[in-house]
Amino acid sequence: MLRSLYAEHFPTVRAMVLQNSGSANDAQDIFQEAISVLWLSVKEGRIIPEVDPGGYLYRVAKNKWLDTVRSAAHKHMKVVHDERTLERPSDVPDDIEERIVRLRGVYEKLDEKCRTVLDRFYFERKDLSTIAEELGVEEESMRTIKYRCMMKLRAFRNVIRGEEHEV
Amino acid sequence: MSKAPLDKATFEAIEAYVLDRMSATERGAFEQRLVLEPDLRAELELGREHIRAVELGGLTRTLRTIAEQENASGSQGGSGWGRYIAYAASIALLVSVAIWWATRPPLNERLYAAHFTPDPGLPVAMSATDDHVFADAMVYYKEGRYGEAAQRWAPLLQQDPSNDTLLYYTAMVELVNGDAGSAMARLASVSDGSSTFKSRARWYLFLIHVKRNEIEQARALQLGTDTMYGERALRILSQLGE
Repeated sequence: MLRSLYAEHFPTVRAMVLQNSGSANDAQDIFQEAISVLWLSVKEGRIIPEVDPGGYLYRVAKNKWLDTVRSAAHKHMKVVHDERTLERPSDVPDDIEERIVRLRGVYEKLDEKCRTVLDRFYFERKDLSTIAEELGVEEESMRTIKYRCMMKLRAFRNVIRGEEHEV
Repeated sequence: MSKAPLDKATFEAIEAYVLDRMSATERGAFEQRLVLEPDLRAELELGREHIRAVELGGLTRTLRTIAEQENASGSQGGSGWGRYIAYAASIALLVSVAIWWATRPPLNERLYAAHFTPDPGLPVAMSATDDHVFADAMVYYKEGRYGEAAQRWAPLLQQDPSNDTLLYYTAMVELVNGDAGSAMARLASVSDGSSTFKSRARWYLFLIHVKRNEIEQARALQLGTDTMYGERALRILSQLGE
């Protein structure tokens, strides 16, 4: 699904970024951010899943890119003017980008071993016995590793809640 | 939230709840615990956030991998057959998505299907009740033998037509059997009084209105403030564009 979204909608976003003084790498970063916004918004019921994904991704990507272009570091860039893009898309929740940054901050606290195990279990939705076999450990040990990794995240609870100081 | 360590069993129960890997019975029991245990509710909220963080991390890694592969294949050009196969595969994917899109049920019915699970039933301890007919029927109900349960409850309900427990569980059987009309009348009568089933009856009434696309009536139930079902109800209304 992700691959087909990428294949179908990335070329339009890339064309928009390239047209507005960006590079191919900028386009990839912006597109990945837009997919993250779409994914989290749908996951948390903030937008209707029936929204046209191509149109949504394009609106988010364009908005983000114009924000980047307007920032001090990019003031020298030439922007193709388009009145439609000057306002924030109404279907993008206000706090969603801040939330993405916070969630990524939590994920970054994990070491590589925990990321490998937790990604496979929670994101790829593989069962524990499969992951245990792939990583060459007993299933019960894998259960304990997963538990300990999640408890490390729990220790960062103040970070995830956006508080100023970690525990 | 407690600062004490979270034991493995509670962690795994929270995980199973968030990942929707509980049976209807386990889910019902867990939700009853949530009503009574604020610490558990806080742990659930935190656990949900942790899982979301990991999912987002996995999504980001996958997107990076796709981008790298796209870059590599773009720079290599690819063979004629390779391109043809990739093109054919993407067309097949689009066609299958289009067929699924055109034939899937409407959003309100999909939301009903996603959220409706029959009440898990009441605990039945041997010799804990004098009403063995009711208890036997409850055992059938919990085993998923809904028809047999309803058959045994029917005469009891005839004798005591305002009994909220009988009304509620008979309505559950009717909902399972797709008879939302009959279920609705019984649930409405339970939800009007001071029954212990009041909150649950209102939730199922809400779902029936969603299924029938009666969004105004669903909204009028004002389930948003309900401790147990408020969050889910608001999410459904939001998805329906309310």
